[in-house]
Amino acid sequence: MLVSAEESFLRGSTGGAAMLLLPIIVISLVGFVAPVVNLLVFSFQKAEATGALLGGFTFDTWHDVITDPYYRELIANSVGASLLITVLDLVLSYPIALYLHRSSGLRRTILLVLVISPLLLSAVVRTYGWIAILADNGLIDQLLAKLGIINPYRMVFNMLGVVIGLTEILMPYMILALLAGFGRLDLRAEEAAATLGARPFVVFRRVTLPLSLPGILLGSLLCFVLAISSFITPKLLGGGRIFLLATEIYDQAIVTLNWPVAATLSGLILAIFGVALVAYTRLLARLV
Amino acid sequence: MTDEKPPSRGLTVLAMLLFLFLLAPVLVVVPLSFSGDAYLSFPPSSWSFHWYKQILAEPKIVSAFGTSLLLACSTMTISVAVGLPAAYALVRLKVRGANLLMSLFTAPLLLPSIVLAIAILVIFASLGMLGTFKGLLAGHVIVTLPYAVRILSTALAGLPIACEEAAATLGASPTVVFYRVTLPLMLPGLVATAALAFLVSFDEVVLSLFLSGPRLSTLPVEMFHYVETRTDPLIAALSCILVVATLVIVLVVDRTAGLARTFAR
Amino acid sequence: MSAQGPSKQPCARPGIQLENLRKTYPDNVAVDDLNLTVGKGELVAFLGPSGCGKTTSLRMIAGLTPITSGRVVVDGRDLTGLPVFRRDIGMVFQNYALFPHLDVRRNIAFGLEMRKLSSAEIARRVNEAIALVQLQGREGRRPAELSGGQQQRVALARALAIQPSLLLFDEPLSNLDAKLREEMRKEIRDIQKRLGITAIFVTHDQVEALTMCDRIAVLNHGRLEQLGTPQELYERPATPFVASFIGRTNRLAGQARGKVVEGAGWQLAIAEPHHGAVEVMVRPHRMKLAQSTVASPEAVNRVKGNVVRCIYAGEVIQTDVDIGGQIITVEQPNAGSEVTPEPGQAVEVTFLVRDSLVYSGAA
Repeated sequence: MLVSAEESFLRGSTGGAAMLLLPIIVISLVGFVAPVVNLLVFSFQKAEATGALLGGFTFDTWHDVITDPYYRELIANSVGASLLITVLDLVLSYPIALYLHRSSGLRRTILLVLVISPLLLSAVVRTYGWIAILADNGLIDQLLAKLGIINPYRMVFNMLGVVIGLTEILMPYMILALLAGFGRLDLRAEEAAATLGARPFVVFRRVTLPLSLPGILLGSLLCFVLAISSFITPKLLGGGRIFLLATEIYDQAIVTLNWPVAATLSGLILAIFGVALVAYTRLLARLV
Repeated sequence: MTDEKPPSRGLTVLAMLLFLFLLAPVLVVVPLSFSGDAYLSFPPSSWSFHWYKQILAEPKIVSAFGTSLLLACSTMTISVAVGLPAAYALVRLKVRGANLLMSLFTAPLLLPSIVLAIAILVIFASLGMLGTFKGLLAGHVIVTLPYAVRILSTALAGLPIACEEAAATLGASPTVVFYRVTLPLMLPGLVATAALAFLVSFDEVVLSLFLSGPRLSTLPVEMFHYVETRTDPLIAALSCILVVATLVIVLVVDRTAGLARTFAR
Repeated sequence: MSAQGPSKQPCARPGIQLENLRKTYPDNVAVDDLNLTVGKGELVAFLGPSGCGKTTSLRMIAGLTPITSGRVVVDGRDLTGLPVFRRDIGMVFQNYALFPHLDVRRNIAFGLEMRKLSSAEIARRVNEAIALVQLQGREGRRPAELSGGQQQRVALARALAIQPSLLLFDEPLSNLDAKLREEMRKEIRDIQKRLGITAIFVTHDQVEALTMCDRIAVLNHGRLEQLGTPQELYERPATPFVASFIGRTNRLAGQARGKVVEGAGWQLAIAEPHHGAVEVMVRPHRMKLAQSTVASPEAVNRVKGNVVRCIYAGEVIQTDVDIGGQIITVEQPNAGSEVTPEPGQAVEVTFLVRDSLVYSGAA
């Protein structure tokens, strides 16, 4: 809570405070609340092929989207890919986070800066970096060629490339979430386990891992949500051939101009969002 | 809590390898920008500054750069101008329902960017604001304002109120307290907020993609379209410039905020 | 009302009057109908344990905490309802609250700038204040470059420079080490007396209150337990709380029947008749370990007991004596005699009847 209950000697005109808050309240309502509500309302409209709207409230669009096998596959792919990316992120980020947690002083600061700095770069820049690595004649291909191996696999402009790229791009979020959750990790608990006869891997499995569960859950939620709503990376690394929820929303909104469908898909993302949040809260309560 | 025991050998090696993976894209883009090849190839077969010069030959990119710059500066100014009074009202004036209001103001951060983008697209379309500077500006402010009000509130809340109380006992009215005491002490937070708003706006791509038009575009949007169709190292050169510029901004902020913090202690 | 404060003419009621001052929160009463008067030029301590309402009362006088009900009158001016910056008070905060971004000179000048004085006048007063607290040569430094004691002096100078009608101190010495505290106590007292400014000093340290102030207001749970001079409070504490909070004391619980109090294994004579359960309090250094029955012109209480332990504390020798289920502490100055009581030794503790403070009610 940023606002404490203590009194402030500056208490006084509510009118003054209202004036100070007016601009941001207006912007929040007009620029955020209204558009989101409006969008959800749009999902209950239906559009013709021309993009013109047929007036009136209808469940048709929702029905069409949910029963359409194309969209079902789209949703399944999106959810599946996001789950895979989340798991990969967890596995790859955990060692880094643990290492950071156990470091101190200058080294820790430098490492932290290195982890956070990619976040300051545009998604386009980071995605392009992956194209450069995964493309034919990119880093991987050339490295393997030097070793005498021809890489038969296409690693870019397909799902593989999207998964690899998105996994790495979301790693900083997972690392930071894990680090935040590592607050409960006490070296002494691990030492106690060791003195009680536990070997290092057992210590990890029975002490470190359970204690870091809050961070794991938070990071997983964060990565899943970011993955499923990710647009830039799938669009670029997918070469326009990979269709996920976010890219579909873009296509429907900008290319096909079928806003009701785009709105419905947005509603679906929010619904998946909600489910993930509920799962997170339940798991957090039960396991922690 | 500082751990006395340093990380184990095994963990160190593993972590370092994974760090390499984490930083791979950035590490690749830098050398690639100096490629002399006409197409994407890594490692490059030859080296040159060619692609850096080529940037200036792309009129769309140059003009988009100017737009992004102007946009980021304007967004930064407006976010701070709107966020600062709000933070003050919430933290110092303790309005009722302050926590609820804060949740409202930071809600845009929780929404997936694609959903926010299309929501704003739909409304701006009916207002005729698509492809306009003011539309882009409004969109950017909506996106950066949550950061601004959040960081400024944290900075303000972290300021012990004793100095402001002392100023009041010495005869300073609330306005004077704000300008002579609160604001100077908040300087590090202000600078950090402005820098973040600038960077977030400058790098903003999804919403900008929806809101830009044929005649008005931002740098990230132009870069996106460029990568969609071509993958030559021009983008690498451009990315390098952006990376360096971001670094410079962060360092400058650290210096100013750091300097101000020495004053404050 | 100009920020320069009231005109300094003699007024009807100089000093401070707190009338039925009250502060309530949703779940507790911090200050419960506080009534007291501070004379002009007096230094009064608000003394009590944490949570007793002393700081809350101070902040209400300053205007930093809103008053629930009651009045604050300073030099005839009703300050109740006036905003902080119009009250013409000088306040020294616990953590000094110096402006970190301003140097010493500008810190001290701040209040003067608020009063829109000429720069010549400001410079004069700043120099005056700096000389008063003996910080010459440090005007250009920032608070971060000063030691705790120096920061304290700046805080004091800043409050004094505006020549307020009232000085408020909120435990300003609690962050200093013992030696510095003693030094600053004397300095603050000297300056306050010299300038004749009315002042209120909040502290939880009874030694501080006793050594510095003209009068002490002891507060407990938001109520005024006693208001009096250090001597009054020490010699004639009005309540058991005051008796045990100021100075150290032995507490003996027993049943009173007229002028006699009976406890488990001992009997005492008291000056005034009491009935029912009482607490008798005697200061350790008003007790003696009698080796022989010495005749005394005044009425004396004698209690027999066994030594539990004897502590050599340098200036004094403390002996804990078991008088039948209760242990009392006898403190005697170290006169250099070799003989100290051994544990288990049977002794007789004597003290004057008039040093036995009696309070009704169970302990």
